[in-house]
Amino acid sequence: MSCAPDCTYYFKHTMKTIILFLSCLYISIGMFGQETQKINRYTITGRLTDKESGEALVGATIYVKELKTGAVSDIYGNYSLTLSEGRYSLVFSYIGFAPVEKSVSLNAGQKISLELDPHQQALKEVEVKSEKEDKNVKKPEMSTFRMDIKTIQRIPALMGEVDIIKAVQLLPGVQSVGEGSSGFSVRGGAPDQNLILLDEATIYNASHLMGFFSVFNNDAIKDVKLWKGDIPANYGGRLASVLDVRMNEGNSKKLEINGGLGIISSRLTIEAPIVKDRASFIVSGRRTYADLFLPLSSNKELRTSRLYFYDFNAKINYRINENNQVFLSGYFGRDVFKNPMASMQWGNETCTFRWNHLFSTKVFSNFSLVYSDYNYQLETKMDERNSFEWLSRLRDIGTKADFSYYPNTGNSIKFGGSIIYHMFQPGLTKATGNESVINEVRVPGNYALESAVYAGNEQHFNGHFTLKYGLRLSMFQNIGPGTVYHYDSSYKATDSTVFKAGDFYHTYAGIEPRLGLLYEFNQESSVKASYGRTFQYLQLAQNSTVGTPLDIWFPSSVNVKPQIADQVALGYFRNFRHNTIETSVEAYYKWMQNVVDFKDFAQLMLNSKLEGEIRSGKAWSYGLEFLVRINEKRVNGWVSYTYSRTFRQIDGINGGNAYPAPYDKPHNISVVLNWVISKRVNVSANWVYATGAPVTFPTGRVEVGGKIIPVYSERNAYRYPDYHRLDLSLTWLSKPNPGKKFSWDLNFSVYNVYNRHNTWAVNFVQDNINTTQTYAQKLYLFGIVPSITLNFHFNNEKN
Amino acid sequence: MKKIKLYPALLLFLAVACTERIDVKLDESYTRLVVDGRITTDSAAPVVALTKSSGYFSNASSPKVSGATVTIFDGTTSYLLPETVPGQSGIYSSKHPLPGKTGREYILHVELPSAISGHTSFEAGCMLHPVARIDSVKVIFHPDYGKSGAWTIDLYAQEPGDQVNFYMFNWFRNGRLMSDSIQKKIVMDDKFINGRYLGGIETFNIDDTHEWETIKPGDTVTLQMCGITAGYLNFISQVQMSGFNLPFFTGPPANVQGNIGNGGSGYFAAFSNSYATTIAR
Repeated sequence: MSCAPDCTYYFKHTMKTIILFLSCLYISIGMFGQETQKINRYTITGRLTDKESGEALVGATIYVKELKTGAVSDIYGNYSLTLSEGRYSLVFSYIGFAPVEKSVSLNAGQKISLELDPHQQALKEVEVKSEKEDKNVKKPEMSTFRMDIKTIQRIPALMGEVDIIKAVQLLPGVQSVGEGSSGFSVRGGAPDQNLILLDEATIYNASHLMGFFSVFNNDAIKDVKLWKGDIPANYGGRLASVLDVRMNEGNSKKLEINGGLGIISSRLTIEAPIVKDRASFIVSGRRTYADLFLPLSSNKELRTSRLYFYDFNAKINYRINENNQVFLSGYFGRDVFKNPMASMQWGNETCTFRWNHLFSTKVFSNFSLVYSDYNYQLETKMDERNSFEWLSRLRDIGTKADFSYYPNTGNSIKFGGSIIYHMFQPGLTKATGNESVINEVRVPGNYALESAVYAGNEQHFNGHFTLKYGLRLSMFQNIGPGTVYHYDSSYKATDSTVFKAGDFYHTYAGIEPRLGLLYEFNQESSVKASYGRTFQYLQLAQNSTVGTPLDIWFPSSVNVKPQIADQVALGYFRNFRHNTIETSVEAYYKWMQNVVDFKDFAQLMLNSKLEGEIRSGKAWSYGLEFLVRINEKRVNGWVSYTYSRTFRQIDGINGGNAYPAPYDKPHNISVVLNWVISKRVNVSANWVYATGAPVTFPTGRVEVGGKIIPVYSERNAYRYPDYHRLDLSLTWLSKPNPGKKFSWDLNFSVYNVYNRHNTWAVNFVQDNINTTQTYAQKLYLFGIVPSITLNFHFNNEKN
Repeated sequence: MKKIKLYPALLLFLAVACTERIDVKLDESYTRLVVDGRITTDSAAPVVALTKSSGYFSNASSPKVSGATVTIFDGTTSYLLPETVPGQSGIYSSKHPLPGKTGREYILHVELPSAISGHTSFEAGCMLHPVARIDSVKVIFHPDYGKSGAWTIDLYAQEPGDQVNFYMFNWFRNGRLMSDSIQKKIVMDDKFINGRYLGGIETFNIDDTHEWETIKPGDTVTLQMCGITAGYLNFISQVQMSGFNLPFFTGPPANVQGNIGNGGSGYFAAFSNSYATTIAR
């Protein structure tokens, strides 16, 4: 294996950090050792599930009233709580579910698995209000936001298509990259700096239909969590955020069918037990049919076009015994555009196999095999002189092992590792049919191994102070076969080196410390701080603000250094009215190195010398995020205000001077409210406001060959008009009737209620008739868009 | 070649998206010299037009630059291009035909009577590359193209495989240049066709949107294929994209990169031509 010249430095530095980290962990575990010699300690363990569907409850709270502490269930619903001998009152709670209180006399290890009821109201005798859902204050994590699918489903949506990513874009610190787009920027980061995971598989392009819809079918999704910072050590590979999306496991109690008919698509989900309470499945499909209306168009080209997308989610799980459960899940989605001249299709495919194993009441584990594929194909009409097809593909095969160790209530240790093998086929064009004279052009493929090990602990000191520390060691290795071009100081390729299959020809290593502090002033308020370093070894060759499905991912290499971000954040968290109103204010500052931008007029597609088009430099972001989250019985939602700035400074761009990054929109307001008017009617509203995006405008013109050409300002020296929009929706539910198996709801929604023509782009146009005249022309996508969706629900047991 | 619709999806956006004129307040940048000049292998005089940049919404013809001394140097001889109407036209051309020769680098030199952007002297150089001979050209009507059918001008020629070539295409109807603005020209490199016999590859695709631009049976149609440099190809491509911004496809707007020194704008191009003519039926 050959290494970069600075490799020795990396490894020395890595070793020092590991020794320091292990010393901390050793001291910490040593402390538990001394403690356990004095007092008898026993472990309560178990699994928390939804009584109605059997789905695991992720992040449910187990609260020990006497100690004012507790545990949280993991993504498989498992928890572990080690306490000293004694009598305790445990409260098991989860948002939207009736909490359960259990009295426990602890003189031996116990197993308490519970099914929480989503329908039943809180039992009067259980005094749970003050303990309910205070994770906002008590959990040593910040800069995160978890949304259950029910919350997302209430948010008014464009064309009635409920969409996870559109919901995420309403969170403080998150911005849409353009009207209707599925791309998002987190705390000033680029869209490719977000790690989007579906059941642990990376989704490389989360867009359908050019971004108007995301790949996530809400019927198949259970839970969504976004980390904007304070990213736990088990995640890595992107600078700005992690969006972790988990699919439903399938109802293990009864057959359930959910579906919807909308103006643009329809969907159907079937879930049922295979063996009651042990094995279940879910299959979910969705297809758009907007193209059915195209034949009505007056435009012949539209009339003869087809454009649609479909996607399919499936998951099966089997609970072998109390300590072993396996899951197999997959996603397949495709967008198809066709007209008589050409066709194009693209999509993601993922597959995840997981084995969830409990080694003991204190050690849980999960082993995963993950496959992810993003590819596109473009083809012109066959049997012409210039008929060709164009293919591109990125595949990952990976494995992960994650362990959780809960030695006592004071500590929860997580450790594990992952290895992902990336296979890039950036582009291949070749002739189709016998008539074509097009040559085959192949951008050489490349391969890389991305691996990481991590360990971290969440350590509680007395009743007020919690320290969270973790370390992730990542490594990225380019593997042959591969061609490396060498560039001179003007980015011109001078020569190249070809590496054989199996050659590890370049290695980067990253030390990524993660640190978090929590100080609880009392039950209702706390202050938190965090620091995290993240490395990113893959980036998207995307030069436009919104991007296309043809954008390709490319790896760090001899010529492209990994991007690095350091983020610090400080926050104050305060809950009111028995935790039904959560408030927070967070300030952050983020420094980024080796961020990627592209030279003017960069050629990013089918370019084997893509690396010569890259310019890299530094970037920085800072901001202040205010959030009020309401979770009252009849009103829920959030109101947020964010002030943030983000800049880049890159040699070769804007004369080397700093410029606002494309997603620098200083003022941002989101209001997302849902009001339950009655058992049959609820109303939701969104209002969003953002400062206009920065843009480069002309400051002069020259005329050459009859065309007026703009002379441009400095990069992003101007701004589009401010963006704001109001959306409303009303959901009318069928009459609640416990005797019926079938229920429905009808959702009316209006996007952009006051019909604001928000700027999508501004073009500078030369008049066709009077050719000396020029004018600015605004392009906007949507005026007011009303829609209606009928959702239905069936299950084979009475409600 | 033929404008292949790589993005059928774009149709959706053109159907959904709406446009409206808006007022934008723009600052004004400093003045630049703009050069639009060429020398070709045709038996014609080289022409150089000199103008100045102006405010983006100035909405008047570009101010001409008169009284300059303009010369073209071919490596051995320097040729003076006098102003066609001295002190007025801003257009400089030799009195006699001066066909360029392939394989030579032509240097344009402009000396101004008064400085623009701090300079009085500007220079640009361009190699004159050869171009393959066009064997023949065909004009074919395709009833299934576009809204109501379209004509294509199909090229027959051998693409030389031993060198990297860059092409610009023009077309003439009954002797009149129809691709008469830089926006209407077609440029391409030989990445996908290097060394191939181009047996009827489509170049221009002409629909009947505007009667004055289309082809009628009986029209004499001439295709011009020009051998240009990579720099000129990039310049034309950039000019064609300039001012246009679609968030999916276009990168950040940037100034078009020409070959005029000392901060001048525009391009001085040298290129070779080959022609073929046919009659539309």
